Formats: sequence, C-alpha cells, structure tokens
Amino acid sequence: EVPVLISEDTVISQPAKILNFLRKQKYNADYELSAKQGADTLAYIALLEEKLFPALLHTFWVEAENYCSVTKPWFASRIAFPLSLYLPGKMSREALKRILLTRGGPPLYSLTEVEAQIYRDAKECLNLLSKRLGTSQFFFGDTPTTLDAFVFGFLAPIYKVCFPRVQLQEHLKQLPNLCRFCDDILTCYFRLTVAGHSPSGQDTADANLQKLTQLVNKESNLIEKMDDNLRKSPQHPPRKLTTLKLAAGGEEITPLNRLSP
Amino acid sequence: AAEPWPENAALYQQLKEEQILLSDNASSLAVQAFLQMCNLPIRVVCRANAEYMSPSGKVPFIHVGNQVVSELGPIVQFVKAKGHSLSDGLDEVQKAEMKAYMELVNNMLLTAELYLQWCDDVTVEEITHPRYGSPYPWPLNRILSYQKQWEVRRKMKAIGWAGKTLEQVLEDVDQCCNALSQRLGTQPYFFNKQPTELDALVFGHLFTILTTQLITDELSEKVKNYSNLTAFCRRIEQQYFEGHDKDSSTTVAARSAKRSLLR
Repeated sequence: EVPVLISEDTVISQPAKILNFLRKQKYNADYELSAKQGADTLAYIALLEEKLFPALLHTFWVEAENYCSVTKPWFASRIAFPLSLYLPGKMSREALKRILLTRGGPPLYSLTEVEAQIYRDAKECLNLLSKRLGTSQFFFGDTPTTLDAFVFGFLAPIYKVCFPRVQLQEHLKQLPNLCRFCDDILTCYFRLTVAGHSPSGQDTADANLQKLTQLVNKESNLIEKMDDNLRKSPQHPPRKLTTLKLAAGGEEITPLNRLSP
Repeated sequence: AAEPWPENAALYQQLKEEQILLSDNASSLAVQAFLQMCNLPIRVVCRANAEYMSPSGKVPFIHVGNQVVSELGPIVQFVKAKGHSLSDGLDEVQKAEMKAYMELVNNMLLTAELYLQWCDDVTVEEITHPRYGSPYPWPLNRILSYQKQWEVRRKMKAIGWAGKTLEQVLEDVDQCCNALSQRLGTQPYFFNKQPTELDALVFGHLFTILTTQLITDELSEKVKNYSNLTAFCRRIEQQYFEGHDKDSSTTVAARSAKRSLLR
C-alpha cells in the first residue's frame, strides 16, 4: 500500500500514520496552529476526501479516454511485466467500485448520473477551497501546514497531468488563487519548473529505487550483525543473508524525510 | 417553490422503540432539529418500511406537499428553496467552513456509528440483528438484516474502514469530538449566536450517541469527555425540544430505551 515511509527500522503506510510518526520525531508543520485551526484542518481534509476524491479517482481511473491514454501506460511503465497487465486494471475496477459504493445508489441510477453528481460536488469543493484560501499564500497565513500539504496533494495531479478529458482541470484553472498556490509549492518545495514535468523525472525515480535498495541492504546487514552478536554457541554457523543487487553504488544514505519543518 | 410550508408536513423514520438504529436515529434527529430551528412544523411518522419508501433508500425523508426529499443535505436545499435558511448570514469563508465540518461529521461520526452497529460482531448479534428486522416475521427479518450488513461491510471495505479495530474507530471518534469541541469553544453555537444546519447535524449525532444504550459505554464516554459538547446538546434539547407538544412527535422525550440528558 502506498505511500510508504521507511525510516531505519520502521515501515509505515497510510498518510495519517506517517504524519503521526513524523510528529513524534518532532517534525510538525502544525506547531504554530491554534487548537481551533487544527480542528479546521481535520474538517477540510474530510471535505477533500468526501467531495473531491471521487471525482479525482474518476478522472484518473474510470474515465475511459484518460485511463487508456495516460494512467494505464504511466503505471504500467513502472511495474514489472506481467503484473503491468493486471494491476492497473484492478486499480481501475476498485476505483469504480469505490465511487459507486460511496456515491452511487438511488436516486442516481446510472453511471452518468453519478458522474455528473461527483463532478458537481468536486467543482463546488474547489470553489469552497478557493474562497477559504482567499488572497493568503497558504491556508493558515504565511507558513505552510498539514492542510496545505493535503490540498496540494489533491490539487496538483488535477492541475498538472495532461489528460484528454479535463473538465476538472479547466474548472481549477478558473480559480487563479488555487493555481498560484500549487505553483508556489511546486517551485518552493519540489524544485520543478512551473511549466510542469520534472526534468529528471525518470532519473529521480531510479535514484529513489536505488536508495530504497541500499536501505534494505543496510537493514539486512544490521540484522546480520545482530545475529552474529547474539550467537553464543559456535556450533551454529552464521546465516548469510542475501543482499539485493538491484543497483550499484554504495554511497551513504540519509532517511528519506524531505518535508519542510 | 414559493408554496408555503404546509401544516401536515411529515417526517418518516423507522419504528422508534423497536427498530431504529443508532445511525438512522442520529440522522433523523438532525433533520428534526434543523426543522425546529427553522420554525417549520413537522410531525414524525414511524413506519417499518421507511427505508424502502425513501427516494434515496436512506432515512429520514420528509413529505411536504407533494414532494418527498430525503437526507439532511437535500432537505436543507429544499427548505432553502422555500425561503428558509439558517446559513444566509454567514460569509463565504464561514459557509466553506460549515460545509467542511459537516463533511467531518459525516466522514467520521456517521461512519463510526455504522461501523459500530454493523461491523462489531458483539453489537451486531445483540442489538442490530434483533432490532433491524423486528417488524418482520422469520426468516425475512434475518434475511433483510444480513443483506444490509453485507451492503454496509462492502462499503466499509471500499473506504478502508474494514481493517480498523474498534479501538481505532473510537480514537477517530475522539479526534472528531476534539475538533468539534475546539471549534465550538465557549460559544453557544458553532457560528456564534445563531444555529445553523451544522449545529443540527452535530446535535443529532452527539445526542443520539449520548443517550443510546449500547453494549458498552465507550462511545458515549468519548463524547462525555468534552463538557462543552454535552452542554451544547443540553442547550439545544432545552431550547428546541422541550415544551413542544409531547405526543411523541419528537424523539427526545425520555423513553424506555433512552435516557434524557437532564438527570
């Protein structure tokens, strides 16, 4: 399940748990917020998940043209064959199931009616976010917080990915403060050109894979050492753990926390 | 939509004493509170098949004139079209906030209630199954009950709640109550002096949680931790439900399965 954070010896999935973990490590973007603002954060995240997420899922995974021309090749290119033939299809079916289960049902009887409703809700949600953001740089003033991260996470794919069917993107582009918000975060924190795709997208992915491999190797080396230390009796031969050899290189790695404090 | 509100407007829900479940009761109470706040008279009609009569399959629904509208969201819109609104005085940012908090309640509280009554095995066996199908003869009662359970569990799985334990769900409820408590602060209502649909929704859910007897008291304890929330519920109960006609047109009158907040 993605996203997954691997830090030394802990593996955490799901955004909420990852954020909790980071807070325990003293990385907290909401430190300056009042309790009421923290409550607002929770409420707006719920709004995003209920109103915007179904349409997002639909744009990526259910809308036939989008799925076939962009999403499927994109995902399939990074998954090994033959899983690449099966996994995108499965994700698409699950997305449709989720949309129908949560938003379908009477009085909406056909998929087109459900689609119309979820896009209406998504556009309303975007309008609400735009009104809430107003003219400030971030949602709670001048410094970014968890809410900004969540909103960015939902908006940036809509904003940047070039789909054939783009009704949500067009609506978003009519809300200049949200576009400016996304651009700001992209230039400040992701060091991308405003024009869009990462210049080293492929390389970044490879570099990440490399780092991941090295982390796993380092872990297994550590486990091996612990094993050796624990052995009292010389009769048991030490077990040799195989290390992964996906990538060459042995530079030291730092944990992958790259969030701003 | 310029017709006045008729005298015989009715709200339909399941049978109060034997059949209705926690989540449906909460939704129904929220709508009743909303209509009371708008000063629109409504009488509550209990029918065993209310769920099937509803246009969306969910209770409560209201029958006004010759129109039938179900669920709080559409009812608020409908009432607004008739010229009554509680949130007109709010500015755009406040309206956005109100909608966000309503989604929070639906996302966390309602889902937690559904989880508790359909995915927690003990509660399902002892409370939900007996209650849900009670107006019907065997085997229909069991079939309907299992069918509904299967539906709800499918939905829980789709949104990722099936993997949660009861403790995690209760923690989510706590987080939600904390957020609501922080937002309410010391004000009488969420948007200071005047109640809005958010107040009605929060009241519906919290009051029901506080006054419904379940297997354990864990859920209501989570809400009781926040004194301003219990005071809020008491205030709305006193203001909008006491002193109205006592012919069981409200769910708030103390009944066998429930206990009043004022003790």
